[in-house]
Amino acid sequence: MIVAENVEKRFGDALVLKRVNLRVEPGEVVTILGASGSGKSTLIRCINGLETLSGGKITVDGHDVSTKAGLVAARRASATVFQLFNLYPHMTALRNITLAPIEVLKLPKAEAEARARALLDKVGLGAHADAYPQQLSGGQRQRVGICRALAMQPRYLLLDEVTSALDPEMTGDVLRILAELAADGTTMVFVTHEIEFARHISSRIVFLEQGELIVDLPTAQFFAEDGGLAVRRIRQFLSKMKKD
Amino acid sequence: MRYADFTPYDIVLLLQGLGVTLALFVGTTLIGLAIGLLLAVVHHYRVPGCRPVIVLVTEALKNSPVLVQLFLVFFGIPAFLHIRMTPVEAATLTLSLNTAAFAFVVFRSGIESIDRDQIEAAQVFGLTRSQILRLVIAPQAAAFSVGPLIGILVNQLQVTSLISVIGVFDLTKIGNILNLRTLQPFIVWAVIGLIYYLAAKTLAHAGGRIEAALRKSVKWGGI
Ligand SMILES: Nc1ncnc2c1ncn2[C@@H]1O[C@H](COP(=O)(O)OP(=O)(O)O)[C@@H](O)[C@H]1O
Ligand SMILES: [Mg+2]
Repeated sequence: MIVAENVEKRFGDALVLKRVNLRVEPGEVVTILGASGSGKSTLIRCINGLETLSGGKITVDGHDVSTKAGLVAARRASATVFQLFNLYPHMTALRNITLAPIEVLKLPKAEAEARARALLDKVGLGAHADAYPQQLSGGQRQRVGICRALAMQPRYLLLDEVTSALDPEMTGDVLRILAELAADGTTMVFVTHEIEFARHISSRIVFLEQGELIVDLPTAQFFAEDGGLAVRRIRQFLSKMKKD
Repeated sequence: MRYADFTPYDIVLLLQGLGVTLALFVGTTLIGLAIGLLLAVVHHYRVPGCRPVIVLVTEALKNSPVLVQLFLVFFGIPAFLHIRMTPVEAATLTLSLNTAAFAFVVFRSGIESIDRDQIEAAQVFGLTRSQILRLVIAPQAAAFSVGPLIGILVNQLQVTSLISVIGVFDLTKIGNILNLRTLQPFIVWAVIGLIYYLAAKTLAHAGGRIEAALRKSVKWGGI
């Protein structure tokens, strides 16, 4: 379980996260919605330890990310897929995927490669194992990014706008893979602007507004007239998203 | 045969001088690259208090004449600390530090050329600092650095000629000796110059091949 309690994050004078509380149980898909600049990425980066908290506490399966040992354990439990892929450009797709399993999990190379090849096959990139990121399209790179995360066999998958750098066709490819993962019971914390998709795969939806988590509801209730839609800011946000 | 004539033995002398020059060049290059790399890594990790010191010292080394540095090390330091220093020791120390200063700048920009993004990815996947340095940063920084480093080393090879002034029997010093004996400065210095030229060209050529091989093995084309 991922638990965020009264999380605060400041950058200089700016308070970017304000007493945020969030729980993600195993098996859930929790989508974080919110306008640009509302703190979604910062929240994800606090969970995976790329930002240090200014206040409050985050634990992943009980491991406190603000302690050194806790962060190591928390990072073993989760894996992140990035908006801009963040692949290692000097490594092939295969090596991008096997690096952490070999170096961190200490898997034998052959086993790590077999696992990576199986994952690449699953996302339709079986023929591209030896390609470098530069030789792949955006959608292909992001699929490699997803394989890299899955190769760690994480209990939690953190996804920060993983399709927003892709064109619509490639977005479809990536979303299909995520839908399969959700159907398999993968636990996900999912930041996206793909509202319809989020509605389709999420168990819960939370809404961030200028660093405050103002709504946290099961998906059906979030989209109900007397639920999330009763909040004016959410109505505005959703109708603006539809227009874009 | 007059004393002033060129003799076949002069070739041996020249080769000996070339040997001293190359040995000092190779030795100070290895020491200098190692120190430069160490400085760049320390700088990268922001070891407390180290950044300003490293920048100050390397800037001083890059922006003052090597000959002055050599005099400071050979005459100044022994006088100040009351120690003895041989010409070869002084030459080794000065040239190593000088190469280190230039190499530091190249390594630092090599490291800084790497996207923060990838390093963050490696961090969240649980790689340790040293794994990230070795597996993510080093290969990319190396490919980035080879070209500029070769340029620096070709220049440092020429700079070694300064050590003849403090009495190291390098190629230039041999040139001096032959010149005084034969009183044929045009021939002597033309030959010495040609030898430096050939050595530098060989170095540049070898460096170019290393660079090409490195770029070929790293096909990612990102740099
Ligand atoms: N490293 C940083 N330094 C200063 N301000 C930052 C930094 N990262 C994010 N911010 C600010 O924090 C706020 C939230 O950013 P972010 O979490 O990226 O929002 P979102 O992902 O919802 O678009 C923004 O106002 C942004 O400018
Ligand atoms: Mg964001």
